[in-house]
Amino acid sequence: MSKTALVVDDSPTMRQMVAFTLTNAGFKVVEAEHGRDAVAKVAGGPPVDIVVTDLNMPEMDGISLIKELRKMAAFKFTPILMLTTESAADKKQAGKEAGATGWIVKPFNPDLILKIIAKVLPT
Amino acid sequence: MSNDFSQFQDAFFEEAAEHLAVVEEGLLALEQHPEDLDLLNKIFRSAHSIKGTSGMFGFNAVAQFTHKMETLLDLLRNGQKAVTPAIADLLLRSTDCLKTLIDAAKTGSSVDDVTVQRLTEELAASQNASGSQSMPQGNGPSKIKPASAGPELYSYAIAWAPPDWLFQRGLDPQQIFKELADIGTLSQVTVDATKLPELATMDPEKCYLSWRMKFETAKDRQVVDAVFEFVREDSVLTITEEVQGKELEVRGEESPSFVTPDGTESKPKPLGELLVESGVVSRETLNKALSQQKRVGEILVEQHAATPQQISQALQKQQDNAAHAKKGTETASIRVDTDKIDKLINLVGELVITQSMLSDLGARFEINQLPVLLERMAQLEGNTREIQERVMSIRMLPIGTAFSRFPRLVRDLSAKAGKKIQLVLSGEETELDKTVIESIGDPLTHLVRNSADHGLETPEERLDNNKPELGTIRLNAFHEGGNICITVEDDGRGLNRDKILAKAVKQGLIAENEKPPDDQIWPLIFKPGFSTAEKVTDVSGRGVGMDVVKRNIEGLGGTVKIKTALGKGTVFTLKLPLTLAIIEGMTVRVGKETYIVPLLSILESIQPKAGAMKTVIGKGELINVRETYLPMIRMYEVFALQPEYTDPTKAILLILETEGERVAVMVDEILGQQQVVIKSMEKNFRKVDGIAGATILGDGTVGFILDIRGLLEIARRGVAA
Repeated sequence: MSKTALVVDDSPTMRQMVAFTLTNAGFKVVEAEHGRDAVAKVAGGPPVDIVVTDLNMPEMDGISLIKELRKMAAFKFTPILMLTTESAADKKQAGKEAGATGWIVKPFNPDLILKIIAKVLPT
Repeated sequence: MSNDFSQFQDAFFEEAAEHLAVVEEGLLALEQHPEDLDLLNKIFRSAHSIKGTSGMFGFNAVAQFTHKMETLLDLLRNGQKAVTPAIADLLLRSTDCLKTLIDAAKTGSSVDDVTVQRLTEELAASQNASGSQSMPQGNGPSKIKPASAGPELYSYAIAWAPPDWLFQRGLDPQQIFKELADIGTLSQVTVDATKLPELATMDPEKCYLSWRMKFETAKDRQVVDAVFEFVREDSVLTITEEVQGKELEVRGEESPSFVTPDGTESKPKPLGELLVESGVVSRETLNKALSQQKRVGEILVEQHAATPQQISQALQKQQDNAAHAKKGTETASIRVDTDKIDKLINLVGELVITQSMLSDLGARFEINQLPVLLERMAQLEGNTREIQERVMSIRMLPIGTAFSRFPRLVRDLSAKAGKKIQLVLSGEETELDKTVIESIGDPLTHLVRNSADHGLETPEERLDNNKPELGTIRLNAFHEGGNICITVEDDGRGLNRDKILAKAVKQGLIAENEKPPDDQIWPLIFKPGFSTAEKVTDVSGRGVGMDVVKRNIEGLGGTVKIKTALGKGTVFTLKLPLTLAIIEGMTVRVGKETYIVPLLSILESIQPKAGAMKTVIGKGELINVRETYLPMIRMYEVFALQPEYTDPTKAILLILETEGERVAVMVDEILGQQQVVIKSMEKNFRKVDGIAGATILGDGTVGFILDIRGLLEIARRGVAA
């Protein structure tokens, strides 16, 4: 049974790269352009096993998305990884407070994403 | 299965270009509304995206430079610094610089390091050294040490008390133990449950436990630290190393990142940088020295090793090469709305259904089913037409992409020329073919420059003439029939009839006593080398004249028209075909052959009276059309055909116009008007003089599309021979 990942990023290139890596690793991937889109997509969609989200996005940013998701019963304990740049130390803190499980620091390579996901994804 | 990101590079460049446009437009708007926080956020997001994604591909120069911009933008966004014209200007110049950096990453073209360096410093200076954050060290060595040669075992004592909200962040202690077990051996794991409250008061979503354990591993210390990456900062964590009796203790504090992208190589630093770093010279001294540094070209000229002309030719070549390289990598990709594709897939589905109904009908056809057949054929035709339209629409982009460069251009022009200019854009959503959009950028730029430089007056002159100080340039695009019209309009001084006339007489284009009507005077400005500008400025007069504009537009199968009123302004109207792949053509017959004449070039068709033809020595045959003599071309002679008529009074003459020249072409018959799909001759056969391309006609035969320009040249050559 393949796991489902929700990938949220307003940059199509970045989103596709993450989605591509996860698809290759056997995940089913749901893509969303920003927080609001993600909330809409999880509402009627399949259960999500892991979330990877960018922070800076229009409509609804990553931090707000994490807060929204943590309010939902289905996402209470779901691993949520945020995509950050190293310079955004304050963002990392804000993300943790919102309930982010961990972070992937940009720039990243495919192996790193998979490694970090393996780290937080319950087997 | 390949986990290689390089396939996303093209997408990145496309996306980066879009983000750059957003940044530039945003900054221009920001100059007008410095308090607009939404705008700042938008600019910041785009810069941030460029930074993040460029780092993914190892474009570190881009990432680092964008980081500097981003830091400044962040300060503006947080209100720590105010948007001043100087800062907006700095950011705009930085955007230009970023463009060249991205181009360099794309094409390998060279970058002006001095400019990059200077802007980097200006950006840093503008931040007033306020908490400068470090950039991800893409170039730096990996923090993870290579595995040591021997299987040396480290042994650690780990005490870990996680924060109680561990589970609420989706973290699971089991995961951490599992990860540790993967890289080493866990032993003596003890759990401390003393903090566990009474069952009644226990919150099952909280973590009350802490652990102690012994851990043996061959891995480096950083790897062990990395296991606790997401929890370390919030836990009470002690990892004590027990090596050779020496104990090292590190509390869980923020350690440097454990990852760096691999596959990047560090570039040796320039000498100047090293000297500054080692304190031999100061940054100022270095910059001064760099600014005195001469270009190779200048040195060579001084040593008389090369002439300035040779150098400038070589530079030109270098630029051409760069431009060529740029073109080469100009990817042929296009972004299409998923909507458009979905509709197309739907239509193809319908086509398949129609086709299967038809083949079913064909398998057991009886003549009484003819009405059904006709109905299905009509359905097929409908499907085909709609698919054609949809496919064409995939190549259609809003012209706004071509307009987007103008706000910046006009801003710079108005600053340079000391004029007050506002630019009004409309019809940006008008769609046309991608190729056409890419090709009209330069002609449009020239027209806008022309309007700003020659069209609009100085503020004083405008006030003297009872006009508002602020001059207006309007760019508008709209559909008209099967064409798109783009107008470039200014409310400036208008074309000066007398000046143009005087210049034309001087250049021998018209006789001195001639008094041509206005509509014959205005097109004179499209003649090569024709400029009435009194002085050559930085903006115009750089060799690219209005003649090039006209040639470019006509190269696209379009026309340029001028409307002007002295003291009121000038309107240039460009009329372009929606696409280059399909043209509206008139099919004509010569003997048994069918040719297609581009409809746009046809002025009229006539049947001349006897006596209208004249043969002039050295000029071939001429025909008198309303008192103007036009060269006449007999198609059958050019293409060596057997015509139906050799007498012009029985045949039909098409009066065609190209680049302002008119010519009469003799054909046997006009068959009708139709859209034809152009097939390249060069790709399928070879270039043939007088033929622009070929197409497949309704009956399956090949028809040639006439190249009017080429025909004119053949006619001239024929005379000369």
